[in-house]
Amino acid sequence: MVQSLIKILINPGAFFAELKGEEEENLKWPLLIVLLGGIAAAGYGYLFGEVTAKMMEGALPGIGALVTISSAIGALIGVFIFWLIWTVVVFAISMAFKGQGSFKRTLQVIGYGYLPQVIGSIITVIVAFEYIPRIVVPYVTAAMMQDPVAMQGVTTALMHDPAMLEMTQITSIIAMVFLLWSANIWIFGLQKARSLSPMNAALCVGIPVIAYILFMIYNLGVS
Amino acid sequence: MNFNSRITVICLIILGTMITGVVNADNSQSMAPVTGKVFVSSTTFDPAVFFTGDKGTATYVVTNSNTNTSVMLNHGTFSDGDLQLISDTYDYSHTIGPLQTRPFTFSILADAPEGDYYPTFSLSFYDSNLYHKSLLRIDNTPLELTLVDKPDAFSQGKKKTIYMQVANPRDNDVDTGILEVSGDGITVTPSRIFIGEIASGAKIPVNISVTPDHETTLNLHLTYNNGNNPHEVTRDIPITFGTDKKQADPVMSNVQVTTEGMTYHVTGDVNNAGLDTANTVTVTSLSPAVPQDPYKTFVVGALKADDFGSFEITFETDGNVTSAPVQISFKDIDGNIYTSVQNVTIPATRFSVPKNDGPPLVPIIAGLVIVAVFIGGWYFYLRKKQQ
Repeated sequence: MVQSLIKILINPGAFFAELKGEEEENLKWPLLIVLLGGIAAAGYGYLFGEVTAKMMEGALPGIGALVTISSAIGALIGVFIFWLIWTVVVFAISMAFKGQGSFKRTLQVIGYGYLPQVIGSIITVIVAFEYIPRIVVPYVTAAMMQDPVAMQGVTTALMHDPAMLEMTQITSIIAMVFLLWSANIWIFGLQKARSLSPMNAALCVGIPVIAYILFMIYNLGVS
Repeated sequence: MNFNSRITVICLIILGTMITGVVNADNSQSMAPVTGKVFVSSTTFDPAVFFTGDKGTATYVVTNSNTNTSVMLNHGTFSDGDLQLISDTYDYSHTIGPLQTRPFTFSILADAPEGDYYPTFSLSFYDSNLYHKSLLRIDNTPLELTLVDKPDAFSQGKKKTIYMQVANPRDNDVDTGILEVSGDGITVTPSRIFIGEIASGAKIPVNISVTPDHETTLNLHLTYNNGNNPHEVTRDIPITFGTDKKQADPVMSNVQVTTEGMTYHVTGDVNNAGLDTANTVTVTSLSPAVPQDPYKTFVVGALKADDFGSFEITFETDGNVTSAPVQISFKDIDGNIYTSVQNVTIPATRFSVPKNDGPPLVPIIAGLVIVAVFIGGWYFYLRKKQQ
């Protein structure tokens, strides 16, 4: 299976061509891949949750653990939600190109294609380990909780911390690279899953991916 | 009258004269021990030592030490070639009883140069005269107004203490000493000091507080009475501005800035690098920082030379500053307040949005390049596949 996973990354066309029989709709490996991605995302969520917890500790003593665990669990669940929504979007677009094939098969393809983002998430966690300790965390007091302007000021200050800005830029680039890597896999997979031409499959995957990446670039610009 | 009668009358006259002469001779011989016991028992000059031009009195007390004989005193006079008598002599007869005293007072004007004089007091008895000389000194030495200590330099609006001393080097006491202090553009406390009697050889300390508005001259005017004669001593002290070399000099060190919420906590030490003691040292933040509880102002207290104390202050900013001015204030021994300000660097990103230097071009360009490479790669892949 390790060889298959490597094949997904470097030769996705061959990998999907080799899927036959029950394997064509088996979600075991996609589920594991997404779970790995979720665990990596949970690690990042945990680290970032610590920052949030530190910020809130003055206002809500004892909430630190709750915030940290919530962030980790939220990131884990978020990855599965992303998997589902992304599948829905791609499946819906492919319907415009008269794609044929089950939703489950598309779900499987999107799941396999999530593998590069697992790697991206692990790299992101490593980057976070490096940058998060350098972030100067503003503390929120109980009085500030009643003042939206103050809260906005604190949040803005946190997001504009130099270490935070640098980390955001690096992780955004990482996310873009590995999302495009995933897109490459999804295009090959969607051709098989929805019986689409390479051009149509590229459009079905490329439109939301490019839109999402442009949105990320826009966020980098306005942040 | 025949010859015998004439001889008889002449003999009677001669006899009478002889009898009278014998009686008178007996009287003279009997009164000499009486007038010899009349003497000047004390002499008092007021003032005891004159200035040239002073008016005063000379009082001679005459005592009759006879135990049972009164003595007739005539024509008491005061005479001297240099000193001027400005009252009358005693031209009438006075009887002084046994063991009684009688003063003879003369007003005099010491209109003579500095020196020692011996005026004569004389009295006439019916058969003899009494002459008495005593020392009267004229000394023009004034009181000394001495500057004991004063600050190295004065500062505008700052109160400083000047330590003076009034000394009496004369051989007699003076009284009604009053020191008046004045000057243009200067506030003096107290401006008039009553010193009163100043004994011979005495030293009386006098302290005055001076608050100058500009550089000026302090005028000291000491008046006093020698007897009933007013005298004065004046002295000027220049008031110049400058830096007091011994002044306390609190300096901040070991400054550390931490944050809590929107509040900065600044901790550190204040060291007194001066020579004088810095009293009531306080530390607080200035605008644009806004002091906040719990340590809006931190009172370090008194710091002696080379001593130090820790402080902690809390404040907020509007988020657009990278440093906050922190003020150290202290009082000197006269209660003057001195301040110094030191900027403390605070984390610029703590609450503030950094200056907008435009979007981050490098990651944006990198993102666009990555997208372009991806689209281009697929474009060529699809074209190749179609061919």
